[in-house]
Amino acid sequence: MSRIDRWFEGMSRQSARRVSRRSWLSRFGGVLMGGAALPLLPVARAAEKHQVGEDGVKGREGDPRRCEYWRHCAIDGFLCSCCGGSHTACPPGTEMSPVTWIGTCRNPADGIDYIISYNDCCGKTFCGRCMCNRNEGERPLYHWYRNNDINWCGGAKTQTYSCSTAVVVKAAKEAQPEK
Amino acid sequence: MKGPLLTMGLLLLTLPARADAYEEHDYILNCSGCHRMDGTGSKNVPSLLAMAELLGKPGARAYWVQVPGAAQAPLSDARLAALMNWLVERFAGSKPDPAYTAEEVNRLRSAPLRDPVARRSKIREAIVR
Repeated sequence: MSRIDRWFEGMSRQSARRVSRRSWLSRFGGVLMGGAALPLLPVARAAEKHQVGEDGVKGREGDPRRCEYWRHCAIDGFLCSCCGGSHTACPPGTEMSPVTWIGTCRNPADGIDYIISYNDCCGKTFCGRCMCNRNEGERPLYHWYRNNDINWCGGAKTQTYSCSTAVVVKAAKEAQPEK
Repeated sequence: MKGPLLTMGLLLLTLPARADAYEEHDYILNCSGCHRMDGTGSKNVPSLLAMAELLGKPGARAYWVQVPGAAQAPLSDARLAALMNWLVERFAGSKPDPAYTAEEVNRLRSAPLRDPVARRSKIREAIVR
């Protein structure tokens, strides 16, 4: 028998003599429950500030299912994060339109303006959940390059609009001048 | 001792120029939504890579600034000139010579095209002077 086996046997026999089974169970249960409660502590929530988003942007992420979320400052549509997708990915069964409406939003976590691409997801009927219509910096239809009432699914295979994403392209050198 | 100092001085001179370079930013915000990041466009939007077909042909230089997307972009003449110099080199494969200036861009964008598609095919067939 190897030395490790003997050592384990010794430890097990020793703990069996000293510790009752109920005591072990109660401690193990305590560790399980305590571990589950850790994220509720303020320490754990403070650590979230440093988390990195799916597209690599640091900062407090907030809730992408809410219209107030910082990336949604110029969005007009249903939030894909409420429709089976996320703020950077389309729901299953839809296709991300290659052409898109682009604007800038300020990230309150670092005070930097980011270029946001509001790619529409196309191919299924409109999602109907989490309508968000903030339109900051939008211009009327005759300024087509700054209008988001256009059906941007025009560039996709099917033109049925389902929902909108808000993907960070990169940090902007200045805020969109129309703001 | 003079060498490193000179290098540092040169670096300091070039840094502000790089920090003020808005070409890529302006491309992403004003062009890439339709022409896409790689310039390939989509079924409704022309590919910028097709600019190479017009390279060196009479009228192409003016046409590129007069197309609605460029002429109507919410950019100053100076920023549009810088963007066009960057964009032509990147997508047509050769720097515009001479480089576009703010004055030239101002003159060109104040004379809009009535039919950009027809103008393009004329330039391509080298009918326009």
